[in-house]
Amino acid sequence: MTPLEAVVLVFVIGCALAAALLRDVLSAIIAFAAYSLGIAVIWVILQAPDVALTEAAVGAGVMTLLLLLTIAKTVRPESDASFEDVRPRSLVVVVAFAAVLLATVPALPAIGAETPVTTGEVTSYYLENAYEETEVGNAVTAVLAAYRGFDTLGEAVVVFSAVVAVLMVLRREVMA
Amino acid sequence: MSADEPNDGLVHTEDRTPYVESTIIMTTVRTVAPFILTLGLFVMFHGADSAGGGFQGGAIAGTVVLLLAFAFGIRAVRDWLNPAAVLGLVAAGVGTFLLVAVGSLPLSGEFLQYTAYPVPHASKYGIELVELGIGALVAGVIVGLFFLVAVGFDPGEPLEDEP
Repeated sequence: MTPLEAVVLVFVIGCALAAALLRDVLSAIIAFAAYSLGIAVIWVILQAPDVALTEAAVGAGVMTLLLLLTIAKTVRPESDASFEDVRPRSLVVVVAFAAVLLATVPALPAIGAETPVTTGEVTSYYLENAYEETEVGNAVTAVLAAYRGFDTLGEAVVVFSAVVAVLMVLRREVMA
Repeated sequence: MSADEPNDGLVHTEDRTPYVESTIIMTTVRTVAPFILTLGLFVMFHGADSAGGGFQGGAIAGTVVLLLAFAFGIRAVRDWLNPAAVLGLVAAGVGTFLLVAVGSLPLSGEFLQYTAYPVPHASKYGIELVELGIGALVAGVIVGLFFLVAVGFDPGEPLEDEP
């Protein structure tokens, strides 16, 4: 692990703890935005720039603005304590869950290692033929829009349906 | 222009005052907004050849409107935007994708077969067009959702947090 990776990991974990423990909702949202930004950097380190762009734009940008808008309409509780009181029972559950997830970490392959996923038949086909067959320079785009275009079309329709549903529900709420 | 403003032909500047009169925020947004919009369009158009694509580019481009709303007031930006245009952007995005997908059928191709179109580099331009459609969809969804959460999207409706 390089020093950069270590710093980003510590930053992300610190931000996650702050977002979970801070009592003031505004501070928690700001910590959450910083957490998303740190995760975006981790995606870059993991050589997934497409995911990093999404995380930075949606996770750190849009989500933060939407959350800020939401709390602007709520009342902030007056309290002297700056951190939440942690219940022992919740702490046990959270620590146990984190331990289960951490137990899987040693099984992960190194970045760029040859695993069945990266050397499999389908992956090899994409990497060898994507550039000639689809004439685009980004294999991720080639898979998303060409080989898996049907799935992407489905996703677009799902997003469209979701926004239509939200529109109808929120309009009714506004009217009422 | 909202319906509760007196219709006497005068411009009521007090209704147009920015949400937060912060010179720093307004100047910053005025400076960076063109660059962010350019970045969003670049990511959208260039997604086929580098990192990014319609989804990411659309999200970045949509964020520009959110920035403007935070700097110059949600109400002013909402009045400036046409709700039908935002909803049209969403519909046009998904419609473009569907048209590209279905359009190859009459040209005796398979569903979503870009190479069925009789243009050079059909696959490349087909993918680009689809990416632009996704970008329009995502940008429209983000802008629409933002204003819905903020105020509700009917132009005549007064803001909840204003008297």
